Amino acid sequence: MSEERLAEFMARIERGEKIEATDWMPDEYRLAAIKFMQMHALSEVMGAFPEKEWVPRAPTLARKLSLMAKVQDEVGHGQLILRVVEDLARPLGKGREELIEELLTGQTKFHNVFHMPAPTWADCGIIGWLVDGAAVISQAALLQSSYGPYARILQRVCAEEGFHIQHGESICLALAEGTPGQRQMLQEALERWWEALLLFFGPPETDSPTAQILLKYRFRTKTNEQLRQKYLTKYVPRIQALGLRIPDPELRYDEKEGRWIYTPPDWNKLKAIARNEGPLSQYRLGLRRMSYEQTRWVREALLGRKVA
Amino acid sequence: MAQHPEFRVFEVFVQKDHLSPHVWVGSVDAGSPEDALIMAREGFLRRDPAVSIWVVPSDAIYGTDYQDRDFFARETDKEYRLVSAYAPENAERWRKYKRSLLDIEKDFIKD
Amino acid sequence: MANVDRGALVALLYQMADDELIVGHRDCEWLGLAPHLEEDVAFSSIAQDEVGHAVNLYQLLQDLGEGRVDDLAYGRPPERYLNAVLLERPNGKGTYMDNPQFDWAYTVVRRLVYDVFDGVRLAVAAQSAYTPLADLAARMRREERYHLLHHVTWFKRLATGTEESRSRILNAVEKVWPDLPGLFVLGEAGPGAHFPASSADLLSQFEAELKPLFQEVGIPWREISLNQEIAENGRLGIHSPDLRTLLTTMGEVRFQEPEAVAW
Repeated sequence: MSEERLAEFMARIERGEKIEATDWMPDEYRLAAIKFMQMHALSEVMGAFPEKEWVPRAPTLARKLSLMAKVQDEVGHGQLILRVVEDLARPLGKGREELIEELLTGQTKFHNVFHMPAPTWADCGIIGWLVDGAAVISQAALLQSSYGPYARILQRVCAEEGFHIQHGESICLALAEGTPGQRQMLQEALERWWEALLLFFGPPETDSPTAQILLKYRFRTKTNEQLRQKYLTKYVPRIQALGLRIPDPELRYDEKEGRWIYTPPDWNKLKAIARNEGPLSQYRLGLRRMSYEQTRWVREALLGRKVA
Repeated sequence: MAQHPEFRVFEVFVQKDHLSPHVWVGSVDAGSPEDALIMAREGFLRRDPAVSIWVVPSDAIYGTDYQDRDFFARETDKEYRLVSAYAPENAERWRKYKRSLLDIEKDFIKD
Repeated sequence: MANVDRGALVALLYQMADDELIVGHRDCEWLGLAPHLEEDVAFSSIAQDEVGHAVNLYQLLQDLGEGRVDDLAYGRPPERYLNAVLLERPNGKGTYMDNPQFDWAYTVVRRLVYDVFDGVRLAVAAQSAYTPLADLAARMRREERYHLLHHVTWFKRLATGTEESRSRILNAVEKVWPDLPGLFVLGEAGPGAHFPASSADLLSQFEAELKPLFQEVGIPWREISLNQEIAENGRLGIHSPDLRTLLTTMGEVRFQEPEAVAW
């Protein structure tokens, strides 16, 4: 790799130009971008699982329909983003099958932090409202990404997320305005998910080598803590307006510092979860793996030949 | 090359109404054009209305390289092809006819 | 609806609505488990259409004073559901939550025969003397035609794909066929001005449409007899234990909080 080429590439990044799949790019950029987007795509695919568990049990036909549509969007987003990864990973000899298999063998991680039990219908509402809310904030920050194909496809993804949030809000509002039993269900779900919501944005220090690379190349432009603060500003007042109790006695907005103070979540938990040791990571990965293996014959038939 | 035989990639173009062009919206992996069309219908028309959808094998697309900036170079002055080259001056010239034009319009309305 | 037999019309609407709801429910269990991502998205749309059609059909029942849509969908004992048993059969061993060993070939063949049947039934329903049904059937036909195309494409692809896919399709045909006669039973629903066709009419149209497809891909056609005894006759409210399990799952949240007025 010539120094000159790298310098020219960095100059393009600094001018705010978009990088395209066929452009020359340093391996460091290609690998970091693949890793980041592959994780995003597979998180969308896996992210459908906690909610899809509730589709057959949705309490009205209207909810059954809207939840199905939402889960479908998530899988669709996974498909869109995975297509972007496939194009960037082709020179490395990786296609759809390899990228999925890396998920199933645990080589590639996904946003495990949300793979906790979703034991009640209210969990489904909290996921739709607050978990998706977190995802939207982190995705919207990527609309400025230096990688053109990713930024383009995220415009479509973000447009659809608007529906998801409203859908989740609608479930939570119905429960909040419902019977004491329904309210209780909602409060308990919030308590189950709160720590995961804080963990989702990642630790505040962004000195991990990968994070540095992503920021350097303007693949990402915001830090974990910036996004978490933005999230708290948007959602804390809404949660409180519904009369729900956030399970953090330290939580407050510090006017002087201009930031939210919160009890730091257990970052060690995040590390364990990232190793696919989250409460339900293995269970849900198992479902995915099982369906993948059992339908291999279908993909072979579509191609009219044996997949190796 | 990929270790597994791969699905083909098809680029998807949607036309939202008869007065709009087909616009690229994304791509799908599929075993055949027929399969690709069915997948594209669901992948990209879940909300928006449309009158036509195309799937095109990605490798059938022949186009420029992003590196090739020269392809898009406009070094000579092409101002003479643009509206902006004429509009201000024409407007200026018309101004002196304006008085009589308005009179003509008035007469027209009266008739 | 002067010349329409209300009892027969209501029975027909239950049959149609329950068919759509139950098959839509089975389809939605495939979410996240379909053979590839593109199909996961596509198949979900079909499941949504089916549930959407069920809503419209229950709405006609609500308009006839049978009760509210969601109460009709969720609140009846299994013996009051009139769907064909074919549609309540599980997608395979296990459940969508636990060890789902789902069989895509069975799903494709079941969906194919149901879509052909439903197309035939809707064509008749579009001629109904009960105008609200005729209008709805005409609208539903547009979407169902696409579902049929989807499953015809799958059926052809798998029947002519690999040796394995072909043999899986043959097995699925074998598994689906015994449940086919149950699809054509009209029971209390007809025929009459509300639905001007008999079971035999439906069957002959069904054969005329499906047989050529089987011939095209070389899958042997088996004759279907409507004169045999049907042990599990869903159209008469006699179901397999799987329907009870399905309905328990479907109503789990709804009946968890009986006081709730909204969800």
